[in-house]
Amino acid sequence: MNTEQLIESLSRDVPRVSPHAVARRIGYGLYGGGIVAAALVVSMLGVRPDLAAALDDFSFWTKVIYTLSVGIVAVVAVGRLARPTPTSLRALWLLAVPVLVLAGICIGELADKPPQEWLALWLGRSWRACPWILLALAMPMLLGLFWAFKQFAPGKMRAAGAAAGLASGAWAAAIYCLHCPESSALFILTWYTLGMVLSMTVGALLGPRLMRW
Amino acid sequence: MQTAEEDLRALMLSGLEGDAGAHAALLSALVPLLRSFFRRRVRDAGDNVEDFVQETLIAVHTRRATFERDRPFTPWLYAIARHRLVDHYRRHRINVSLYEIELDVLADNPEAAIRAHIDVERLLGTLTVKQARAIRDTRIDGKSVAEAAAEAGIGESDVKISVHRGLKALAARITGRKS
Repeated sequence: MNTEQLIESLSRDVPRVSPHAVARRIGYGLYGGGIVAAALVVSMLGVRPDLAAALDDFSFWTKVIYTLSVGIVAVVAVGRLARPTPTSLRALWLLAVPVLVLAGICIGELADKPPQEWLALWLGRSWRACPWILLALAMPMLLGLFWAFKQFAPGKMRAAGAAAGLASGAWAAAIYCLHCPESSALFILTWYTLGMVLSMTVGALLGPRLMRW
Repeated sequence: MQTAEEDLRALMLSGLEGDAGAHAALLSALVPLLRSFFRRRVRDAGDNVEDFVQETLIAVHTRRATFERDRPFTPWLYAIARHRLVDHYRRHRINVSLYEIELDVLADNPEAAIRAHIDVERLLGTLTVKQARAIRDTRIDGKSVAEAAAEAGIGESDVKISVHRGLKALAARITGRKS
């Protein structure tokens, strides 16, 4: 096909593109995967029985706010990395804020308790499973984001994959709060963060393969 | 170059609003830019410049949603063109120094590249039309002397002399400005 014919056939179908098309598609991918992850939590793990009481609990909101703030920053990064010429990623330094705030809460928690209870604070009851559950719950959203990227043009595919993995991991952790009975900040800082980092690693490994364009 | 950027961006924005005519005009206007971009970078005779041009046009079309309306158009375009090149090398496992490609497009700072183009255009504007055209054709767009001569309808030696005199005049201008 010569170039003139190509241009003619490409110009036959020129729908209007919304300025928010990229954001909307990322939203669809996350939302679709998030529904699956929430269904998995409810059906396989079960909602924690004391959820209503937990809503008044400081530690519950610590978890939710920590995971959501990481999730929001990561989604912004995903949106930028969807383009061939990413705008500044300096905003990623904002990720330090929730981590440092949570670390501050940990110090208060440790100061409050005698040293022989520290290990129990750190490991809780579910440290072995928690990071892997987060990784598993992140996968539907990560797949959703890879689907979204089919129409994007990421200039840096590995970075885009990592951001997508982190975003999926963080939102998966937020959804997991429906089930997770743990309440120590030290537990969250360690095992939740580890789960998100695992998901980020999977994203970074798969990004260059699945985001190819 | 600045007007080209503004014209292209205007066409792109109309295309995004659903104006098929503007979109076709944009793609047509990109063809010569992309041909000269790839002609300068594809050395292997087996690689077809036109294939790269078409692949880039398709990517510009299918991925136009990733263009941010408040940013310049040309860096977006050349990032896509550069990606086609890198992807090609990766697919065929050809080892090239990425540095060469990066250097050309100044990928991490495309706005600076544009500004540099604008400076070059301003300087060329101080020469005679013939000299400016000869320099633009042979030194910027990467055409051979024979091609440039044929397109301008002048002799090859005329092109060479124009380039030589033009560069000398530019050199004098730049050093003169400094002193």
